[in-house]
Amino acid sequence: MAKQYDVLFRLLLLGDSGVGKTCLLCRFTDNEFHPSHISTIGVDFKMKTLEIDGIKVRIQIWDTAGQERYQTITKQYYRRAQGIFLVYDITSERSFQHIMKWASDVDEYAPDKVQKILVGNKSDEEQKRQVATAQGNKLAKAYGMDFFETSAFTNHNITESFTRLAELVLQANKKDLDVLRVSINDKLNLAALEEEEGVCDSSSDAQKTCWC
Amino acid sequence: ESRLASSQLGADSLDIFIILLNCIFDRGLFSRKQKEAQSAPGWKLFGKVPLRESPPKDSKTIQQEYEAKTSKGGHSPPRPSQGRRKNLEFEPLSTTALILEDRPSNLPAKPEEEAQRHRQEYDEMVAEAKKRELKEAQKKKQQMKERFKQEDNISSAMVVWNTEILPNWDSMRGSRRVKDLWWQGLPPNVRGRVWSLAIGNELNITPELYEIFLSRAKERWGTFRDTGCEVETEESGTSVADRESSLDLIKLDISRTFPSLFIFQKGGPYHDLLHSVLGAYTCYRPDVGYVQGMSFIAAVLILNMEEADAFIAFANLLNKPCQMAFFRVDHELMLKYFAAFQVFFEENLPRLFSHFQSSNLTPDLYLIDWIFTLYSKSLPLDVACRVWDVFCRDGEEFLFRTGLGILRLYEEVLLCMDFIHIAQFLTRLPDDVSVDRLFGCISCTQMTSNNRKWTQVFSALMKDKEVDKSSSPSLKSS
Repeated sequence: MAKQYDVLFRLLLLGDSGVGKTCLLCRFTDNEFHPSHISTIGVDFKMKTLEIDGIKVRIQIWDTAGQERYQTITKQYYRRAQGIFLVYDITSERSFQHIMKWASDVDEYAPDKVQKILVGNKSDEEQKRQVATAQGNKLAKAYGMDFFETSAFTNHNITESFTRLAELVLQANKKDLDVLRVSINDKLNLAALEEEEGVCDSSSDAQKTCWC
Repeated sequence: ESRLASSQLGADSLDIFIILLNCIFDRGLFSRKQKEAQSAPGWKLFGKVPLRESPPKDSKTIQQEYEAKTSKGGHSPPRPSQGRRKNLEFEPLSTTALILEDRPSNLPAKPEEEAQRHRQEYDEMVAEAKKRELKEAQKKKQQMKERFKQEDNISSAMVVWNTEILPNWDSMRGSRRVKDLWWQGLPPNVRGRVWSLAIGNELNITPELYEIFLSRAKERWGTFRDTGCEVETEESGTSVADRESSLDLIKLDISRTFPSLFIFQKGGPYHDLLHSVLGAYTCYRPDVGYVQGMSFIAAVLILNMEEADAFIAFANLLNKPCQMAFFRVDHELMLKYFAAFQVFFEENLPRLFSHFQSSNLTPDLYLIDWIFTLYSKSLPLDVACRVWDVFCRDGEEFLFRTGLGILRLYEEVLLCMDFIHIAQFLTRLPDDVSVDRLFGCISCTQMTSNNRKWTQVFSALMKDKEVDKSSSPSLKSS
């Protein structure tokens, strides 16, 4: 059976409650948008396989609850991530200010090699904008991160930002891609996974309907 | 009443139709996803052949009927471009026509042998479809019977709860009979009362007290709205920003609570109620404040009891040790709960336990969601209410027992999944989980380990300074 993927890694979505982390993710993995999404409690999971430079990259995305109180819990997950999205809402100054706090927590708890990008979501709500694009750019520059303004609603820059972060993680790990693979093999039973996915493939049973 | 009326009518199909309508109305609110009515596949193909007529017509009659029909259709002239078969006036006798009619004139006629075979195959199909239809009908009848029985059970249980148990609550609540009845699920219209009584009110909150906190909350929303960011506060300990974000967060979360029900969103019938209960709580317990997950608990209570009662139950429920540990995000204590869960997990489901261990899937990844919302987010609401019933009877232990029941129910599926699939599965359980099978699995789950009960295991862990490393590596404080 063909290999499902060559590399597997985890991305983490961080940012204040209500900035649209879950919406970004749903748009990316399922191409869906729900204006009132059920709140995320603790952490939620999704995955998607991308192909980057001929390498099949499977990304697990951990979507975290944004409330400050939950950070005691979610911080523990930072160290399992290879890439992190720092998400704010362009219509909320406060969510932008909090990026500083999120970024410093990431510095403290995430692995040194972790890749980060800054995402300003809800770019479709221009009339409610509180954070200028230039501000986002400036902050991203200060942190040495890439920056995207996205809209889960209009599907603006969603694939771009996810692909970019995946590329960054891939680049950062290129040298020890093999090492990474080995370490993944340690953590996840690749064989079991592939078997399991083969079973999932359910084809609708062809009915013999033609009698002519 | 409609049930009675319909059975008098006696017409089977009407009966079934009415019952179906009843089902839809009964279950509409609480089942997250209506299962689509499944029509018997195949039989519809033969719609023109009446069900009652058991011996299939011989081909000649069919042929005659068919010819009669086509000639009858003749009074409106067929469209010139279309041949006989494509005449729109003529609705082919489905497969009958396809099999038994002659081939178009431009094709050679069917050999007798082939025609014979087709007739035979056709007969077999009819017989097969009929069998299927019959089976389907029997199944449906059985389901209806069960449903009737269930309804009868509920209504008789309701009488027992209302006339016998509730008036003598203190003396009867611990009895074997009440406990058994309780396990089977509380009738919806006594549910709220039983929950209230079982949760109790050791905080001695009165409806008047609720009003006081509610008006304080409203005042605060007022000043918050008027002045925007500048809110004067008299309490110390919680910062202005915190309070603000807490108010904002409540607003945000209300519409994100059971969004599929469309009753908590702005303008929905329960929006303001939920807002009030949560707001009053943040004034009552500023030290705890609003924590995500609370909105689900308050919502379930609001759906089952009056506003003030819901608040009283809410505050008392959150005051229980397990809930306090979680909502205050007392990390150390949460780890103890997870560790205790792991003990019983390994005891009950050793295979799955080691599969989870080797996948590095720690219990915090799914238990946080389950415990914070008391399963109301991950299980269908009607199933979650059944869990709440027994949780009110048995306490926190039942929450973890339910978790193990869920794992047992889906053990085989989970065993052939990897990390991400398990994590996804457990945070979004299937919509069609059967409450009976789940409760079967829960009752198979033994909450004893080496002759120690949950509370004993838990308190032993509380005495340990260090939680076993293997229990939850990801939540280990660094």
